[in-house]
Amino acid sequence: MSGDRVGIIGIGQSAFRSRRDDASYPELVREAVVLAMQDANLDFDAVQAVVYSLSPDAMVGIGNAERLGVDAVGGRNKPFLRINTGGATGISSVAAAYYHVASGMYDVVLTAGADKVGECGDSQTVLNKIWDPSYERPLPLGTINMLAMSAVRYMHCYGMTEQDMAWVTVKNRRHAALNPNAHLRKIVTVDEVMESRYISWPIKLLDCCPQSTGGAALVLASEQYIRDNQRDAVWITGVGHAAETYWMGDRMGNNPTAEHADAFALGRSFEKSYRMAGITEPARQVHVAELYAPFSNTEFHAIDAARLVARPGESVARLRDGEFELGGRIPVNASGGTLCTNAIAVTAMARVAEIALQVWGRAGEHQVQGARLGIASGNGGDHQIFGTMVIEA
Amino acid sequence: MGLRIQPAVIGCAIRPAITGRDRSLEEMIYDTAQLALADAGIDIDDIDGILVGSNDQFDGRSISVMMASGSVGGVDRDIMSTPSASEHAFIMGALRVATGQFRSQLIVSWSPTEVSSMSEAQRLGADPYFHRALPLDELSAHALQASALEHAVPHVRDAACAIAEKNRTHGRLAWPDPPLHPDAGPMRWPLTPTMTSAPVTGCVALVMASPDFVAERGLRDVAWIGGMGWATEPSFLGDRDLATAPALMAAAQQAYDAAGITDPSAAFDLVEATDATPYAELLAYEALSLCPRRDWMARATDGSFARGGRLPVNLSGGVLTWNPVFCTGLLRIAEIANQIRGRAGAHQIANARCGLAHAGSGFAMQYQAAVVLAREARA
Repeated sequence: MSGDRVGIIGIGQSAFRSRRDDASYPELVREAVVLAMQDANLDFDAVQAVVYSLSPDAMVGIGNAERLGVDAVGGRNKPFLRINTGGATGISSVAAAYYHVASGMYDVVLTAGADKVGECGDSQTVLNKIWDPSYERPLPLGTINMLAMSAVRYMHCYGMTEQDMAWVTVKNRRHAALNPNAHLRKIVTVDEVMESRYISWPIKLLDCCPQSTGGAALVLASEQYIRDNQRDAVWITGVGHAAETYWMGDRMGNNPTAEHADAFALGRSFEKSYRMAGITEPARQVHVAELYAPFSNTEFHAIDAARLVARPGESVARLRDGEFELGGRIPVNASGGTLCTNAIAVTAMARVAEIALQVWGRAGEHQVQGARLGIASGNGGDHQIFGTMVIEA
Repeated sequence: MGLRIQPAVIGCAIRPAITGRDRSLEEMIYDTAQLALADAGIDIDDIDGILVGSNDQFDGRSISVMMASGSVGGVDRDIMSTPSASEHAFIMGALRVATGQFRSQLIVSWSPTEVSSMSEAQRLGADPYFHRALPLDELSAHALQASALEHAVPHVRDAACAIAEKNRTHGRLAWPDPPLHPDAGPMRWPLTPTMTSAPVTGCVALVMASPDFVAERGLRDVAWIGGMGWATEPSFLGDRDLATAPALMAAAQQAYDAAGITDPSAAFDLVEATDATPYAELLAYEALSLCPRRDWMARATDGSFARGGRLPVNLSGGVLTWNPVFCTGLLRIAEIANQIRGRAGAHQIANARCGLAHAGSGFAMQYQAAVVLAREARA
């Protein structure tokens, strides 16, 4: 066993909701940090550095809002920096904390953040501003119609139907009903999804994630620290990032740089993570997956990119067969996933947190029995920047 | 604790004041990244990962790293961003090389001035209930810090004026062609127009690499990271004593411990300090253990920190010469790296073997960082 591994020793997550009128933005961060510190049984003196997780700060209405979170994370006079890779920010922040420890510079690092998407007014107005002001912003693009175009391409390439999309929602809502931290926990039927109104064809209301409010935090430590202090931990054994082109127009048309139906860079990121973790057959070796999928259709290309199926597009049939349900071959988004909870700044951190809990055997009612190795992913920007991780018991 | 593997800066590009309207921001970033790669003698295929530092409010985009991805070669490559500060991009890049999982990193930061009001963009970064209503921008916060120092240190204003004159003199040597220190606009007491510099559009890029990459390529003009530290102060100005810089003291101690430096006042051949105002530079002298405040007046006026003095500070002219607001921190690090590499240009000093870069940013220097760069790799 290598002595240079990095472990997760503490996890904190809010019970995500639409609004939290009882907690200001820094208080929301603090809530998650306190939960993680209690979980790790640490006091703040033990934390040597902090990585702050915050995606578009326009969501909380404060530029560089991480500055307001310094005291909430116990960061005063300590190493502190912020990461932003859009929706991938949460997993990128865990990766940044991982690099803090793996570099040999620190033994104990906290990463934390929060978001108030449910209180921002209209997240799509904020997210429209991620695009180039001259060309793609005026279309107008938002993240929903951006991924509706991906759904159309996926239908064209692999034969996915709107009913197939509805089954993703049905599955994830069943899972979320078992997770007390999930935002949308009401079980729905395929008919209810199909009867919900169109937001951007073929995506309907119940194919969409909610706008959530809440925080998340993780404490990472070096293997040496974990051994010396006899801590319990799970291990980050694979880390990857990769990006696609900024321009949506370059992903469609006759000569796309990458097919918009797929998640090309997510696949490349998983390749890196798997190579680092020594995983050669993910469909056989992975026990549980938390894949960032804010709209039902995107779970299919995430499963494809993670190579949990033999070929792109096969995820549709396998999901219909129940392989990705709790109790199935490889449960995907046993927490309910991003489709049921999306506090953007920490959504991808929650993916890592949920996989850590799964391989730790601490996931509660949505525990996947016997899970020892799991994967997590995060998608950011205009489906552009991707982060992935392998977590093992 | 120190870095497991020692990274080196192998290429730099400093474009502190980009004028004209013939290049878009994407093209300016592309140009600067390519210059840094060329300076390192490599191309983008040699780069494993990318860190960018940019400010969404200044760029007018919700996630400004997205736009840069193509310009810096981020497509199908590992890219992350640190919107907290440009110097944080450098730190993350160094940490990644130190893991042994990356052999090279491209670090890029930029700061445009197309926003209709820089002051308003900065004001959005203040908390909405207390500071924003003041109204607070970075110049106001710097002025409050200057005021606090004037209250705490007798005759500090004379020392500040001497520092400003020193840096302007350095700037005239370093940048002889372009017009210097554009009009900074309305001031905040006690600052005067000679104590600040107006924002300019700028872009900075660095390339860093692992020791095995440096050896494999036979690179000679490199600056090794001897130590680095970074720290932050709390957000609310009322929670801080603005006449002190405890976060910089903490950051410096990390850097010095890693570099094995016990007497900072005698350890460096030169320093680049973030002189958003000369008061900030004076505070840095103390927090970096280069000069106690009781000696500020004497050392500021006897030439100790001027070219040819005992410890030259801001040979580039500092922020008082060029102020590309968001990337001034990374610019300080690049300046020291270039001096160590013997590539600083008109303001190069002879035999620069060990230098210190101080990067400060945010309201009254909330974020602080110190980076030690050296000609020789550690044993």
